[in-house]
Order: sequence, then structure tokens, then C-alpha cells
Amino acid sequence: MTDDALLAEMEALRERVTGITGSAVASRDGLNIREDTGGLDPDNLAALSASALSLAQRLASEAGQGTLRETVTRSSGGYVVVYAIGARAVLILIGDEGLDLARLHRESRGTVESIEKLLG
Amino acid sequence: MTGAEDGSVGPLREALMVCAASGTSGVLRITGDPGGTIHLTGGLVTAVETTGAPGPEVLLLRSHRVTESRWDAAFAAAATRGRPLSAELIAREIVGAGELEALLLTAMADAIFVLASGTVDEYRAEPGPSDGGLLLEPGAEAAGLLAEATRRIKVLASSPVPASDRRERLVAAPGAVRPGVRLGAGQDEILALADGRRTTRDLAFALGRGVYATTLRLAEMQAAGLLMTASAAAASRSARQAGHAAAGGGQESGDELPRRKGLAARAALPRRASAVRAPRGLLRPRSGRDGNPG
Repeated sequence: MTDDALLAEMEALRERVTGITGSAVASRDGLNIREDTGGLDPDNLAALSASALSLAQRLASEAGQGTLRETVTRSSGGYVVVYAIGARAVLILIGDEGLDLARLHRESRGTVESIEKLLG
Repeated sequence: MTGAEDGSVGPLREALMVCAASGTSGVLRITGDPGGTIHLTGGLVTAVETTGAPGPEVLLLRSHRVTESRWDAAFAAAATRGRPLSAELIAREIVGAGELEALLLTAMADAIFVLASGTVDEYRAEPGPSDGGLLLEPGAEAAGLLAEATRRIKVLASSPVPASDRRERLVAAPGAVRPGVRLGAGQDEILALADGRRTTRDLAFALGRGVYATTLRLAEMQAAGLLMTASAAAASRSARQAGHAAAGGGQESGDELPRRKGLAARAALPRRASAVRAPRGLLRPRSGRDGNPG
């Protein structure tokens, strides 16, 4: 039940933001909870994203810059964006080169909140 | 498709023609879906950026016309020397001057077509220096670009093969992909990428081709029965399932949500077979096709 509601949230975000090619929700310890990534390895993605987010949080804290908002990895072929979902999970978004990053940052807030509620 | 004949050509035309008439140098920001930024010099359009259409960099790199290492080297050199990227690309013979001009114009025409096919909520001209990456110099006349966008919208609207709505996601029709059978002409690559998750725009980015050209190609393939919209595929699946359940064999049909079924089918493929669908450069080695020397 929760899984399908999670998937619905992920799909709704993909409908609202141009350029999202895949998304996943993982636990903070790097285990895949729900994925819709279309061919990427969800276990690797979950493990790497959880590590990347915690590393970025330590980096932000070391630089004295307050609360981490998200991590954005930009490559020649697109983006990987990771948001914290409370203290227990992460939302991972994969986008192509044309990803509308500004809209993603706006739209993802509501998605993160909804997913946090679903995860309880 | 309602409103496609008119689209945003009206407000976009208004915005661009004001800039053209006043010889604006700077950027014209278009807010809408997809919206974008139009760079102008002396009222001429030098670049258009939009999330709705692949820019020249995507066209060059995804199509493997230029290797990434050469592109990166040119980009770094242009940035450190304060020289335009286009001059650096030509000086390094990565692309010829004529080829680059044609490519920039192609990408620009496609982007204007996409902006004109979308919606414009508001626009704002911001005079000032233009900091766009690859600029067409001298720029293109706004009137010519608008006329071409209008022509393309008309072609699509009057086509005997109607293009699917731009929000629709496309999927290979059942039986379109047959083991050992190659359709050629780039159709196999499109069928591999049309996994029910990508819109026309997404496919254009993945292919490294313009949205207009991709739209025409996809419409042809739909007409040939090779592709269908994901919503039509889901409808025909549930119709089949309903028939199956009525025949008394519907035990597992409750599990067969369209999305899961597709994913399960793909998961059964060897991992490498799906490499063409993965965003390039993410979690997998680069393809050898671009001859990247490292």
C-alpha cells in the first residue's frame, strides 16, 4: 500500500518537473525502499546516495553553512540530486541535461514532506 | 492537441518582436511551460536555452559527433583564456565554422519551436551583457525563427499522422522488438529507449536530436504500429486482463499493475542490455563508441 503511494508521489514529481528520468527512495543506511529508475541498479544508487548525502552534510557543517538542502551532482550526461527525507530516508532523482533544477527545488519540497508522512 | 495551432506563437512573437524592434542586447526570460531564456545581441537571437529542447552541447555530445574529452578541453581553455567557446571549438578543429553555425541555428530553431508549442505565462527583457555558452554570431532574425516555428506547428497539426500529446510517454508496441530483427534507420535505438517512461522531449535528449525531428519520427513509428502511448498500452493491457479474468484465469491479474509489469520484464534482461537507457556517464563505464582516449 505504502509502496504504491510512494511510487505515486515519485511519478507525480516526474510529471511536474521536466527532465526527471528516474527516482528512488532509500533508507539513510543505504537500502533501497522504492525505485522507478528504469534500468539503473537501485541498490548501488541507494547505497551511494545515502553516503553522498551524509558526506555532504558533514561538509556543510564543516564549512559552517548550516542545514544541508540537497546535494547535486552534475555530469556531462545529466544530474543526480539527493534530498534528505527526515532523519531516516533519502529521495534520489536522476535527470537528463535539460533537468529543470529550479523547478525541481521548488516542487520537491512537497514531495519530500508527503513521503516523510508515508514512511511514518 | 487543442491549442497547438496557436500555442504560444502569439505571446512569444510579441516578446521577440519588441526586442527585435528595439535592438535589445541581453536576455529575454520566458516563464511558462517549458519556458526558457533567449539571448539577444542587437535584437538578433544568438542562443536559446530551454529545458524543453536539447541545446547544441547535447546535440554534439549525445550524437557522438564530438568526444567529451575534446569538448571539456575546449571548454576549459575558453574559460581560462576568456575566449568564446565557439572560437575555441573551431580553433581546435573540433567542429568546422560552417558546421557549428548550422548546428547552432538548428538547435535555436528547435528551441523556439518548443517555446512556441508550449505556454508562456510571462516574459521579461533584461538588457545587459549576454553570458550564454555557445552564441551564434551574428544572430538570427527573430521573424525568421518565428515563421519557421509557425510552419512546424502547422505541419504537425495538419499531418495525416498525428503526433501524440507532448506529455504522453511512449512505449514500444507489443511485438515491435523481435530478437535478431533490426529495423534500421535508428528505429531500433528509439524502440530500446521508448520504455513507457519517456516523453518525446525525453527521447530527443536521449537521442541527441531535435524535438521537432524526433516528433516527426515518433509519429511515423506510431503510424507504423511500432510505438504507442503508455496510456494506450495500459488501456489495452487492462482490457486484455479484464477479458482474461472473465475467462476465469485472473488469479494474478491483481499484481499486474502496468508499471510493475514493465519493470519486471526489463529486470529479466541482462543488465548490459539496458545500458542504452541509462543516462550517459552515470554509474557505468563510458561507451567505447566515442573513442574517448581518456
